[in-house]
Amino acid sequence: MRRLARLAPLAPLARIVPLLLFVAAWHLVGVAGLVDPAFLPPPGRVAVALVDLLRGGQIGDNIAVTLLRAFTGLALGATAGVWIGVMMARSEVFDAYAAPLVGATYSLPKSALVPLFILWFGIGSTTAICATFLACLLPVVVNTHHGVATTPKVLVWSAQAMGFSDREMLGRVFLMHALPDIMTGLRIALGFSFVLAISSEMIAANSGIGKLIFMYGENGTYDYMFAAITSVVAVAFSADRALLAVTHRILRWHDSAVPAADAA
Amino acid sequence: MRPAGTVSDAKIEIRGLSKSYSTGHGSLLAIDTVDLTLAEGEFVSIVGPSGCGKSTLLYVVGGFLSADGDVLVDGTPIRGPGTDRGIVFQDYALFPWLTVRRNILFGLERRDVPQAERDAVADRLIGVIGLKGFEHRYPRELSGGMRQRVAIARTMACDPAVLLLDEPFGALDAQTREMMQDELLRIWLDTRKTVLMITHDVSEAVYLSNRICIMSARPGRIVEEFSVDLDRTLPREELVVSEPFNRLRNAVWLSVRRQAVAAAHADPG
Repeated sequence: MRRLARLAPLAPLARIVPLLLFVAAWHLVGVAGLVDPAFLPPPGRVAVALVDLLRGGQIGDNIAVTLLRAFTGLALGATAGVWIGVMMARSEVFDAYAAPLVGATYSLPKSALVPLFILWFGIGSTTAICATFLACLLPVVVNTHHGVATTPKVLVWSAQAMGFSDREMLGRVFLMHALPDIMTGLRIALGFSFVLAISSEMIAANSGIGKLIFMYGENGTYDYMFAAITSVVAVAFSADRALLAVTHRILRWHDSAVPAADAA
Repeated sequence: MRPAGTVSDAKIEIRGLSKSYSTGHGSLLAIDTVDLTLAEGEFVSIVGPSGCGKSTLLYVVGGFLSADGDVLVDGTPIRGPGTDRGIVFQDYALFPWLTVRRNILFGLERRDVPQAERDAVADRLIGVIGLKGFEHRYPRELSGGMRQRVAIARTMACDPAVLLLDEPFGALDAQTREMMQDELLRIWLDTRKTVLMITHDVSEAVYLSNRICIMSARPGRIVEEFSVDLDRTLPREELVVSEPFNRLRNAVWLSVRRQAVAAAHADPG
Protein backbone atom coordinates (compact mmCIF):
# COMPACT_ATOMS: atom_id res chain seq x y z
CA MET A 1 0.00 0.00 0.00
CA ARG A 2 2.79 2.42 0.93
CA ARG A 3 4.63 1.80 -2.33
CA LEU A 4 1.46 2.42 -4.28
CA ALA A 5 0.86 5.60 -2.36
CA ARG A 6 4.34 6.83 -3.25
CA LEU A 7 3.74 6.08 -6.92
CA ALA A 8 0.37 7.79 -6.93
CA PRO A 9 1.59 11.21 -8.11
CA LEU A 10 3.27 9.49 -11.07
CA ALA A 11 0.13 7.57 -11.99
CA PRO A 12 -1.03 9.75 -14.91
CA LEU A 13 2.47 9.59 -16.40
CA ALA A 14 2.79 5.88 -15.70
CA ARG A 15 -0.38 5.24 -17.68
CA ILE A 16 1.25 6.72 -20.80
CA VAL A 17 4.17 4.26 -20.65
CA PRO A 18 2.33 1.29 -22.25
CA LEU A 19 1.12 3.64 -24.96
CA LEU A 20 4.67 4.81 -25.68
CA LEU A 21 5.88 1.19 -25.74
CA PHE A 22 3.18 0.38 -28.26
CA VAL A 23 4.23 3.24 -30.54
CA ALA A 24 7.89 2.20 -30.18
CA ALA A 25 7.04 -1.39 -31.12
CA TRP A 26 5.03 -0.13 -34.10
CA HIS A 27 8.03 1.94 -35.20
CA LEU A 28 10.45 -0.99 -34.76
CA VAL A 29 8.27 -3.33 -36.80
CA GLY A 30 8.56 -0.89 -39.69
CA VAL A 31 12.31 -0.31 -39.22
CA ALA A 32 13.02 -4.05 -39.01
CA GLY A 33 11.14 -4.58 -42.26
CA LEU A 34 8.76 -7.14 -40.78
CA VAL A 35 5.81 -5.54 -42.56
CA ASP A 36 5.81 -3.56 -45.78
CA PRO A 37 5.76 0.12 -44.69
CA ALA A 38 3.24 0.76 -47.46
CA PHE A 39 0.69 -1.26 -45.46
CA LEU A 40 1.88 -0.23 -42.01
CA PRO A 41 3.21 3.32 -42.21
CA PRO A 42 5.55 4.16 -39.32
CA PRO A 43 4.21 6.44 -36.56
CA GLY A 44 6.33 9.36 -37.74
CA ARG A 45 4.64 9.45 -41.16
CA VAL A 46 1.22 9.06 -39.57
CA ALA A 47 1.99 12.04 -37.32
CA VAL A 48 2.93 14.15 -40.34
CA ALA A 49 -0.30 13.13 -42.09
CA LEU A 50 -2.29 13.94 -38.95
CA VAL A 51 -0.82 17.45 -38.76
CA ASP A 52 -1.57 17.91 -42.47
CA LEU A 53 -5.21 16.82 -42.02
CA LEU A 54 -5.67 18.98 -38.93
CA ARG A 55 -4.23 22.02 -40.75
CA GLY A 56 -6.41 21.38 -43.77
CA GLY A 57 -9.50 21.13 -41.57
CA GLN A 58 -10.56 17.74 -42.98
CA ILE A 59 -10.45 16.09 -39.56
CA GLY A 60 -12.18 18.90 -37.73
CA ASP A 61 -15.01 19.18 -40.26
CA ASN A 62 -15.61 15.46 -40.59
CA ILE A 63 -15.34 14.70 -36.87
CA ALA A 64 -17.92 17.42 -36.25
CA VAL A 65 -20.31 15.75 -38.70
CA THR A 66 -19.68 12.31 -37.17
CA LEU A 67 -20.13 13.60 -33.60
CA LEU A 68 -23.38 15.29 -34.53
CA ARG A 69 -24.71 12.00 -35.95
CA ALA A 70 -23.38 9.91 -33.08
CA PHE A 71 -24.70 12.20 -30.36
CA THR A 72 -28.08 12.69 -32.02
CA GLY A 73 -28.51 8.91 -32.19
CA LEU A 74 -27.23 8.58 -28.63
CA ALA A 75 -29.55 11.26 -27.25
CA LEU A 76 -32.60 9.80 -29.01
CA GLY A 77 -31.64 6.23 -28.07
CA ALA A 78 -30.95 7.09 -24.44
CA THR A 79 -34.20 9.04 -24.03
CA ALA A 80 -36.31 6.32 -25.62
CA GLY A 81 -34.25 3.66 -23.80
CA VAL A 82 -34.90 5.10 -20.36
CA TRP A 83 -38.59 5.44 -21.12
CA ILE A 84 -38.93 1.89 -22.47
CA GLY A 85 -36.83 0.48 -19.61
CA VAL A 86 -39.01 2.17 -17.00
CA MET A 87 -42.21 1.05 -18.71
CA MET A 88 -40.98 -2.54 -18.95
CA ALA A 89 -40.07 -2.60 -15.27
CA ARG A 90 -43.30 -0.97 -14.10
CA SER A 91 -45.95 -2.37 -16.44
CA GLU A 92 -46.46 -6.08 -16.90
CA VAL A 93 -48.51 -5.55 -20.04
CA PHE A 94 -45.86 -3.35 -21.63
CA ASP A 95 -43.18 -5.83 -20.61
CA ALA A 96 -45.09 -8.71 -22.20
CA TYR A 97 -44.96 -6.92 -25.56
CA ALA A 98 -41.51 -5.35 -25.33
CA ALA A 99 -39.46 -8.15 -23.73
CA PRO A 100 -39.55 -10.52 -26.75
CA LEU A 101 -38.58 -7.66 -29.08
CA VAL A 102 -35.72 -6.58 -26.85
CA GLY A 103 -34.57 -10.18 -26.43
CA ALA A 104 -34.64 -10.80 -30.18
CA THR A 105 -32.79 -7.63 -31.16
CA TYR A 106 -30.37 -7.32 -28.23
CA SER A 107 -27.55 -9.38 -29.68
CA LEU A 108 -28.27 -8.49 -33.31
CA PRO A 109 -25.34 -6.50 -34.80
CA LYS A 110 -27.11 -3.27 -35.71
CA SER A 111 -24.69 -2.67 -38.59
CA ALA A 112 -26.42 -5.54 -40.39
CA LEU A 113 -29.43 -3.23 -40.69
CA VAL A 114 -27.55 -0.41 -42.41
CA PRO A 115 -28.31 -1.72 -45.96
CA LEU A 116 -31.98 -1.72 -44.97
CA PHE A 117 -31.77 1.90 -43.81
CA ILE A 118 -30.03 2.86 -47.05
CA LEU A 119 -32.97 1.37 -48.88
CA TRP A 120 -35.40 3.43 -46.79
CA PHE A 121 -33.51 6.65 -46.11
CA GLY A 122 -30.79 6.74 -48.77
CA ILE A 123 -27.21 7.86 -48.26
CA GLY A 124 -26.58 10.36 -45.48
CA SER A 125 -27.24 11.44 -41.93
CA THR A 126 -30.66 9.83 -41.47
CA THR A 127 -29.28 6.37 -42.09
CA ALA A 128 -26.31 6.92 -39.75
CA ILE A 129 -28.55 8.36 -37.03
CA CYS A 130 -31.07 5.52 -37.29
CA ALA A 131 -28.38 2.89 -36.97
CA THR A 132 -26.82 4.75 -34.03
CA PHE A 133 -30.21 5.20 -32.37
CA LEU A 134 -30.96 1.47 -32.49
CA ALA A 135 -27.53 0.52 -31.22
CA CYS A 136 -27.75 2.96 -28.28
CA LEU A 137 -31.34 2.07 -27.43
CA LEU A 138 -30.89 -1.50 -26.24
CA PRO A 139 -28.10 -1.19 -23.66
CA VAL A 140 -29.99 1.72 -22.09
CA VAL A 141 -33.29 -0.22 -22.10
CA VAL A 142 -31.73 -3.29 -20.49
CA ASN A 143 -29.80 -1.36 -17.84
CA THR A 144 -32.66 1.00 -16.97
CA HIS A 145 -35.01 -1.96 -16.69
CA HIS A 146 -32.61 -3.70 -14.32
CA GLY A 147 -32.09 -0.58 -12.20
CA VAL A 148 -35.80 0.14 -11.81
CA ALA A 149 -36.81 -3.49 -11.30
CA THR A 150 -34.25 -4.01 -8.52
CA THR A 151 -35.46 -1.04 -6.45
CA PRO A 152 -35.66 -2.49 -2.92
CA LYS A 153 -39.19 -3.04 -1.64
CA VAL A 154 -38.39 -1.23 1.59
CA LEU A 155 -37.59 1.98 -0.32
CA VAL A 156 -40.87 1.79 -2.20
CA TRP A 157 -42.78 0.96 0.98
CA SER A 158 -41.11 3.79 2.88
CA ALA A 159 -42.18 6.26 0.20
CA GLN A 160 -45.70 4.79 0.11
CA ALA A 161 -46.01 5.14 3.88
CA MET A 162 -45.13 8.82 3.41
CA GLY A 163 -48.00 9.20 0.99
CA PHE A 164 -46.23 9.06 -2.38
CA SER A 165 -48.10 7.62 -5.35
CA ASP A 166 -46.44 5.45 -8.00
CA ARG A 167 -46.27 8.44 -10.32
CA GLU A 168 -44.66 10.63 -7.68
CA MET A 169 -42.14 7.90 -6.90
CA LEU A 170 -41.02 7.57 -10.53
CA GLY A 171 -38.51 10.40 -10.47
CA ARG A 172 -37.87 10.41 -6.74
CA VAL A 173 -37.33 6.71 -6.13
CA PHE A 174 -37.29 4.45 -9.20
CA LEU A 175 -35.20 6.59 -11.56
CA MET A 176 -32.84 7.62 -8.78
CA HIS A 177 -32.30 4.02 -7.83
CA ALA A 178 -31.71 3.14 -11.48
CA LEU A 179 -29.27 6.01 -12.06
CA PRO A 180 -26.06 3.96 -11.59
CA ASP A 181 -27.39 1.37 -14.05
CA ILE A 182 -28.56 4.03 -16.48
CA MET A 183 -25.08 5.56 -16.46
CA THR A 184 -23.58 2.12 -17.15
CA GLY A 185 -25.97 1.69 -20.08
CA LEU A 186 -25.11 5.16 -21.31
CA ARG A 187 -21.40 4.38 -21.29
CA ILE A 188 -21.95 1.24 -23.37
CA ALA A 189 -24.23 3.22 -25.68
CA LEU A 190 -21.59 5.93 -26.10
CA GLY A 191 -19.15 3.32 -27.40
CA PHE A 192 -21.79 1.90 -29.74
CA SER A 193 -22.67 5.37 -31.02
CA PHE A 194 -19.15 5.81 -32.43
CA VAL A 195 -19.07 2.29 -33.86
CA LEU A 196 -22.38 2.68 -35.67
CA ALA A 197 -21.96 6.29 -36.79
CA ILE A 198 -18.54 5.53 -38.31
CA SER A 199 -19.36 2.15 -39.81
CA SER A 200 -22.53 3.44 -41.45
CA GLU A 201 -20.60 6.44 -42.80
CA MET A 202 -18.19 4.01 -44.41
CA ILE A 203 -20.92 2.51 -46.54
CA ALA A 204 -23.66 5.11 -46.61
CA ALA A 205 -22.44 8.70 -46.43
CA ASN A 206 -20.58 11.37 -48.34
CA SER A 207 -19.11 12.99 -45.26
CA GLY A 208 -17.92 12.12 -41.77
CA ILE A 209 -14.74 10.65 -40.37
CA GLY A 210 -15.89 7.14 -41.32
CA LYS A 211 -16.14 8.19 -44.95
CA LEU A 212 -12.70 9.81 -44.71
CA ILE A 213 -11.09 6.64 -43.29
CA PHE A 214 -12.76 4.50 -45.94
CA MET A 215 -11.71 6.85 -48.74
CA TYR A 216 -8.04 6.91 -47.72
CA GLY A 217 -8.15 3.13 -47.37
CA GLU A 218 -9.56 2.75 -50.88
CA ASN A 219 -6.93 5.13 -52.28
CA GLY A 220 -4.13 3.29 -50.52
CA THR A 221 -2.97 6.43 -48.68
CA TYR A 222 -2.52 4.47 -45.49
CA ASP A 223 -0.61 7.11 -43.56
CA TYR A 224 -3.66 9.40 -43.93
CA MET A 225 -6.03 6.56 -43.07
CA PHE A 226 -4.06 5.86 -39.89
CA ALA A 227 -4.07 9.57 -39.04
CA ALA A 228 -7.85 9.70 -39.34
CA ILE A 229 -8.21 6.56 -37.21
CA THR A 230 -5.91 8.10 -34.58
CA SER A 231 -8.15 11.15 -34.39
CA VAL A 232 -11.19 8.91 -33.83
CA VAL A 233 -9.39 7.08 -31.03
CA ALA A 234 -8.55 10.39 -29.36
CA VAL A 235 -12.08 11.75 -29.63
CA ALA A 236 -13.78 8.54 -28.48
CA PHE A 237 -11.42 8.25 -25.54
CA SER A 238 -12.04 11.87 -24.50
CA ALA A 239 -15.81 11.42 -24.76
CA ASP A 240 -15.67 8.31 -22.58
CA ARG A 241 -13.53 10.09 -19.96
CA ALA A 242 -15.89 13.06 -19.96
CA LEU A 243 -18.87 10.77 -19.39
CA LEU A 244 -17.01 9.00 -16.58
CA ALA A 245 -16.27 12.35 -14.92
CA VAL A 246 -19.95 13.36 -15.14
CA THR A 247 -21.01 9.94 -13.82
CA HIS A 248 -18.62 10.24 -10.94
CA ARG A 249 -20.02 13.63 -10.09
CA ILE A 250 -23.71 12.73 -10.14
CA LEU A 251 -23.13 9.42 -8.29
CA ARG A 252 -21.23 10.94 -5.35
CA TRP A 253 -23.77 9.25 -3.08
CA HIS A 254 -23.27 5.79 -4.54
CA ASP A 255 -21.07 3.05 -3.09
CA SER A 256 -19.09 3.02 -6.32
CA ALA A 257 -17.99 6.58 -5.69
CA VAL A 258 -14.41 6.96 -4.54
CA PRO A 259 -12.59 10.09 -3.42
CA ALA A 260 -11.60 12.11 -6.49
CA ALA A 261 -7.89 11.59 -5.81
CA ASP A 262 -8.23 7.80 -6.16
CA ALA A 263 -10.42 7.88 -9.24
CA ALA A 264 -8.95 6.19 -12.26
CA MET B 1 -55.02 -8.27 29.41
CA ARG B 2 -54.74 -4.55 28.83
CA PRO B 3 -52.13 -2.65 30.80
CA ALA B 4 -53.42 -0.29 33.40
CA GLY B 5 -53.33 3.42 32.78
CA THR B 6 -53.12 3.48 28.99
CA VAL B 7 -56.52 2.12 28.14
CA SER B 8 -58.47 4.33 25.79
CA ASP B 9 -60.04 3.86 22.36
CA ALA B 10 -58.70 1.11 20.13
CA LYS B 11 -56.20 2.65 17.71
CA ILE B 12 -55.51 -0.49 15.71
CA GLU B 13 -57.71 -3.56 15.50
CA ILE B 14 -56.49 -6.68 13.79
CA ARG B 15 -59.34 -9.16 13.30
CA GLY B 16 -59.02 -12.74 12.11
CA LEU B 17 -55.97 -11.97 10.02
CA SER B 18 -54.54 -14.81 7.93
CA LYS B 19 -51.94 -14.63 5.23
CA SER B 20 -50.81 -17.38 2.91
CA TYR B 21 -48.23 -17.39 0.17
CA SER B 22 -48.34 -19.55 -2.90
CA THR B 23 -45.07 -21.35 -3.41
CA GLY B 24 -43.85 -23.93 -5.89
CA HIS B 25 -45.10 -26.63 -3.51
CA GLY B 26 -48.57 -25.24 -3.00
CA SER B 27 -49.89 -22.70 -0.56
CA LEU B 28 -48.00 -21.82 2.62
CA LEU B 29 -49.84 -20.37 5.60
CA ALA B 30 -47.67 -17.65 7.14
CA ILE B 31 -50.12 -16.13 9.64
CA ASP B 32 -53.10 -17.95 11.09
CA THR B 33 -56.13 -15.96 12.36
CA VAL B 34 -54.39 -13.32 14.43
CA ASP B 35 -56.52 -11.03 16.58
CA LEU B 36 -54.86 -8.09 18.25
CA THR B 37 -56.03 -4.70 19.47
CA LEU B 38 -53.73 -1.81 20.25
CA ALA B 39 -55.05 0.99 22.43
CA GLU B 40 -54.20 4.59 21.62
CA GLY B 41 -50.71 5.32 22.96
CA GLU B 42 -49.88 1.70 23.63
CA PHE B 43 -46.49 0.15 22.87
CA VAL B 44 -46.93 -3.48 21.84
CA SER B 45 -44.13 -5.85 20.87
CA ILE B 46 -44.45 -9.08 18.97
CA VAL B 47 -41.77 -11.62 19.80
CA GLY B 48 -41.35 -15.03 18.22
CA PRO B 49 -38.95 -17.46 16.64
CA SER B 50 -37.44 -16.46 13.31
CA GLY B 51 -39.60 -17.17 10.29
CA CYS B 52 -42.82 -17.08 12.30
CA GLY B 53 -44.40 -14.42 10.10
CA LYS B 54 -44.12 -11.54 12.55
CA SER B 55 -42.67 -9.19 9.95
CA THR B 56 -45.38 -10.28 7.50
CA LEU B 57 -47.98 -9.26 10.10
CA LEU B 58 -46.36 -5.82 10.37
CA TYR B 59 -46.30 -5.38 6.58
CA VAL B 60 -50.01 -6.24 6.42
CA VAL B 61 -50.75 -3.62 9.09
CA GLY B 62 -48.60 -1.19 7.10
CA GLY B 63 -50.80 -1.91 4.07
CA PHE B 64 -47.89 -3.15 1.96
CA LEU B 65 -49.22 -6.70 1.74
CA SER B 66 -52.79 -7.84 1.42
CA ALA B 67 -54.25 -10.59 3.60
CA ASP B 68 -57.50 -12.20 4.67
CA GLY B 69 -59.22 -10.59 7.63
CA ASP B 70 -59.41 -6.97 8.71
CA VAL B 71 -57.05 -4.29 9.87
CA LEU B 72 -58.78 -1.20 11.23
CA VAL B 73 -57.15 2.07 12.17
CA ASP B 74 -59.44 4.33 14.20
CA GLY B 75 -62.27 1.98 13.27
CA THR B 76 -61.73 2.35 9.51
CA PRO B 77 -60.44 -0.57 7.43
CA ILE B 78 -57.11 0.26 5.82
CA ARG B 79 -56.72 0.38 2.05
CA GLY B 80 -53.02 0.12 1.43
CA PRO B 81 -50.25 2.21 2.96
CA GLY B 82 -51.09 5.52 4.60
CA THR B 83 -49.41 8.47 6.25
CA ASP B 84 -51.16 7.58 9.53
CA ARG B 85 -48.77 4.62 9.85
CA GLY B 86 -45.05 5.33 9.72
CA ILE B 87 -42.61 2.46 9.40
CA VAL B 88 -38.98 1.89 10.33
CA PHE B 89 -37.19 -1.09 8.81
CA GLN B 90 -34.32 -3.16 10.18
CA ASP B 91 -32.01 -2.23 7.30
CA TYR B 92 -32.92 1.47 7.55
CA ALA B 93 -34.28 1.87 3.99
CA LEU B 94 -32.79 5.35 3.66
CA PHE B 95 -32.65 6.85 0.18
CA PRO B 96 -28.93 6.51 -0.59
CA TRP B 97 -29.01 9.43 -3.04
CA LEU B 98 -30.27 11.90 -0.45
CA THR B 99 -28.31 13.54 2.34
CA VAL B 100 -29.31 13.10 5.99
CA ARG B 101 -31.28 16.33 5.89
CA ARG B 102 -33.08 15.56 2.64
CA ASN B 103 -33.89 12.04 3.80
CA ILE B 104 -35.52 13.48 6.92
CA LEU B 105 -37.50 16.00 4.86
CA PHE B 106 -38.50 13.50 2.15
CA GLY B 107 -41.99 12.95 3.51
CA LEU B 108 -42.71 16.67 3.69
CA GLU B 109 -41.91 17.15 -0.02
CA ARG B 110 -45.40 16.36 -1.15
CA ARG B 111 -47.07 18.30 1.63
CA ASP B 112 -47.83 21.96 1.61
CA VAL B 113 -45.33 22.92 4.30
CA PRO B 114 -43.67 26.36 4.20
CA GLN B 115 -39.89 26.36 3.86
CA ALA B 116 -39.35 27.92 7.27
CA GLU B 117 -41.33 25.15 8.92
CA ARG B 118 -39.42 22.50 6.97
CA ASP B 119 -36.13 23.96 8.16
CA ALA B 120 -37.43 24.00 11.72
CA VAL B 121 -38.52 20.35 11.54
CA ALA B 122 -35.18 19.28 10.07
CA ASP B 123 -33.14 21.26 12.60
CA ARG B 124 -35.16 19.96 15.53
CA LEU B 125 -34.99 16.30 14.46
CA ILE B 126 -31.29 16.46 13.58
CA GLY B 127 -30.78 17.82 17.10
CA VAL B 128 -32.93 15.08 18.65
CA ILE B 129 -30.96 12.31 16.95
CA GLY B 130 -27.65 14.01 17.71
CA LEU B 131 -26.45 14.28 14.12
CA LYS B 132 -25.60 17.98 13.98
CA GLY B 133 -22.69 18.38 11.60
CA PHE B 134 -23.74 15.32 9.60
CA GLU B 135 -26.73 16.94 7.83
CA HIS B 136 -25.07 16.92 4.45
CA ARG B 137 -23.59 13.43 4.59
CA TYR B 138 -24.94 10.63 2.46
CA PRO B 139 -26.15 7.41 4.15
CA ARG B 140 -23.12 5.44 2.93
CA GLU B 141 -20.92 7.75 4.97
CA LEU B 142 -22.76 6.96 8.23
CA SER B 143 -22.47 4.13 10.74
CA GLY B 144 -25.36 1.70 11.24
CA GLY B 145 -26.51 3.46 14.39
CA MET B 146 -26.50 6.85 12.69
CA ARG B 147 -28.47 5.49 9.73
CA GLN B 148 -31.11 4.04 12.01
CA ARG B 149 -31.42 7.35 13.84
CA VAL B 150 -31.97 9.09 10.49
CA ALA B 151 -34.60 6.47 9.57
CA ILE B 152 -36.47 7.12 12.82
CA ALA B 153 -36.20 10.89 12.33
CA ARG B 154 -37.49 10.56 8.74
CA THR B 155 -40.54 8.70 10.00
CA MET B 156 -41.07 11.13 12.90
CA ALA B 157 -40.93 14.11 10.50
CA CYS B 158 -44.19 12.91 8.97
CA ASP B 159 -45.69 12.73 12.47
CA PRO B 160 -47.67 9.50 11.98
CA ALA B 161 -50.14 8.48 14.67
CA VAL B 162 -48.86 4.91 14.58
CA LEU B 163 -45.25 3.73 14.48
CA LEU B 164 -44.52 0.32 12.97
CA LEU B 165 -41.05 -0.91 13.85
CA ASP B 166 -39.63 -3.94 12.05
CA GLU B 167 -36.74 -5.21 14.20
CA PRO B 168 -35.46 -1.66 14.18
CA PHE B 169 -32.27 -2.32 16.12
CA GLY B 170 -31.57 -5.86 14.90
CA ALA B 171 -28.59 -4.85 12.80
CA LEU B 172 -26.85 -2.79 15.50
CA ASP B 173 -24.13 -3.76 17.96
CA ALA B 174 -25.14 -4.23 21.60
CA GLN B 175 -24.01 -0.82 22.89
CA THR B 176 -25.56 1.15 20.04
CA ARG B 177 -28.75 -0.88 20.36
CA GLU B 178 -29.13 0.06 24.05
CA MET B 179 -28.56 3.73 23.29
CA MET B 180 -31.12 3.60 20.52
CA GLN B 181 -33.64 1.85 22.76
CA ASP B 182 -33.26 4.62 25.33
CA GLU B 183 -33.75 7.21 22.60
CA LEU B 184 -36.86 5.45 21.32
CA LEU B 185 -38.23 5.14 24.85
CA ARG B 186 -37.69 8.86 25.40
CA ILE B 187 -39.39 9.72 22.11
CA TRP B 188 -42.29 7.44 22.94
CA LEU B 189 -42.70 8.88 26.46
CA ASP B 190 -42.69 12.37 24.85
CA THR B 191 -45.11 11.70 22.03
CA ARG B 192 -47.15 8.71 23.27
CA LYS B 193 -47.60 7.38 19.78
CA THR B 194 -49.14 3.96 19.30
CA VAL B 195 -46.28 1.58 18.54
CA LEU B 196 -46.26 -1.92 17.12
CA MET B 197 -42.75 -3.37 17.24
CA ILE B 198 -41.42 -6.64 15.88
CA THR B 199 -38.34 -7.96 17.63
CA HIS B 200 -36.58 -11.18 18.53
CA ASP B 201 -34.79 -9.55 21.44
CA VAL B 202 -36.70 -10.44 24.61
CA SER B 203 -34.96 -7.87 26.83
CA GLU B 204 -35.71 -5.16 24.28
CA ALA B 205 -39.39 -6.08 24.26
CA VAL B 206 -39.60 -6.04 28.06
CA TYR B 207 -37.64 -2.81 28.32
CA LEU B 208 -39.79 -0.88 25.83
CA SER B 209 -43.30 -2.31 25.72
CA ASN B 210 -46.61 -2.08 27.58
CA ARG B 211 -47.55 -5.47 26.28
CA ILE B 212 -45.74 -8.38 24.66
CA CYS B 213 -47.38 -10.90 22.33
CA ILE B 214 -45.65 -14.19 21.70
CA MET B 215 -46.05 -15.59 18.22
CA SER B 216 -45.79 -19.28 17.43
CA ALA B 217 -43.64 -20.70 14.67
CA ARG B 218 -45.22 -20.88 11.21
CA PRO B 219 -48.10 -20.57 10.82
CA GLY B 220 -47.80 -17.55 13.10
CA ARG B 221 -50.42 -17.37 15.83
CA ILE B 222 -50.43 -15.26 18.94
CA VAL B 223 -50.11 -17.87 21.68
CA GLU B 224 -49.45 -15.83 24.79
CA GLU B 225 -49.54 -12.24 26.02
CA PHE B 226 -47.66 -10.51 28.80
CA SER B 227 -48.54 -7.19 30.33
CA VAL B 228 -45.56 -5.10 31.27
CA ASP B 229 -45.96 -2.90 34.32
CA LEU B 230 -42.53 -1.60 35.14
CA ASP B 231 -41.43 1.64 36.70
CA ARG B 232 -40.33 3.69 33.66
CA THR B 233 -38.86 6.38 35.86
CA LEU B 234 -36.01 4.06 36.86
CA PRO B 235 -32.79 4.45 34.92
CA ARG B 236 -31.88 1.49 32.73
CA GLU B 237 -29.09 0.20 34.96
CA GLU B 238 -31.48 -0.09 37.91
CA LEU B 239 -34.41 -1.38 35.92
CA VAL B 240 -32.65 -4.22 34.11
CA VAL B 241 -31.21 -5.68 37.31
CA SER B 242 -34.49 -5.32 39.23
CA GLU B 243 -36.45 -8.39 40.26
CA PRO B 244 -39.71 -7.59 38.38
CA PHE B 245 -37.82 -6.91 35.14
CA ASN B 246 -35.96 -10.20 35.28
CA ARG B 247 -38.96 -12.24 36.37
CA LEU B 248 -40.88 -11.01 33.35
CA ARG B 249 -37.91 -11.32 31.03
CA ASN B 250 -37.44 -14.98 32.04
CA ALA B 251 -41.14 -15.73 31.60
CA VAL B 252 -41.15 -14.19 28.11
CA TRP B 253 -37.91 -15.92 27.22
CA LEU B 254 -39.30 -19.32 28.26
CA SER B 255 -42.43 -18.73 26.23
CA VAL B 256 -40.45 -17.87 23.09
CA ARG B 257 -38.15 -20.78 23.77
CA ARG B 258 -41.09 -23.19 23.87
CA GLN B 259 -42.20 -21.93 20.46
CA ALA B 260 -38.72 -22.25 19.00
CA VAL B 261 -38.33 -25.80 20.34
CA ALA B 262 -41.76 -26.76 19.03
CA ALA B 263 -40.78 -25.34 15.65
CA ALA B 264 -37.53 -27.31 15.62
CA HIS B 265 -39.42 -30.55 16.33
CA ALA B 266 -42.12 -29.87 13.79
CA ASP B 267 -39.74 -28.86 11.05
CA PRO B 268 -36.39 -30.68 11.23
CA GLY B 269 -34.43 -28.74 8.67
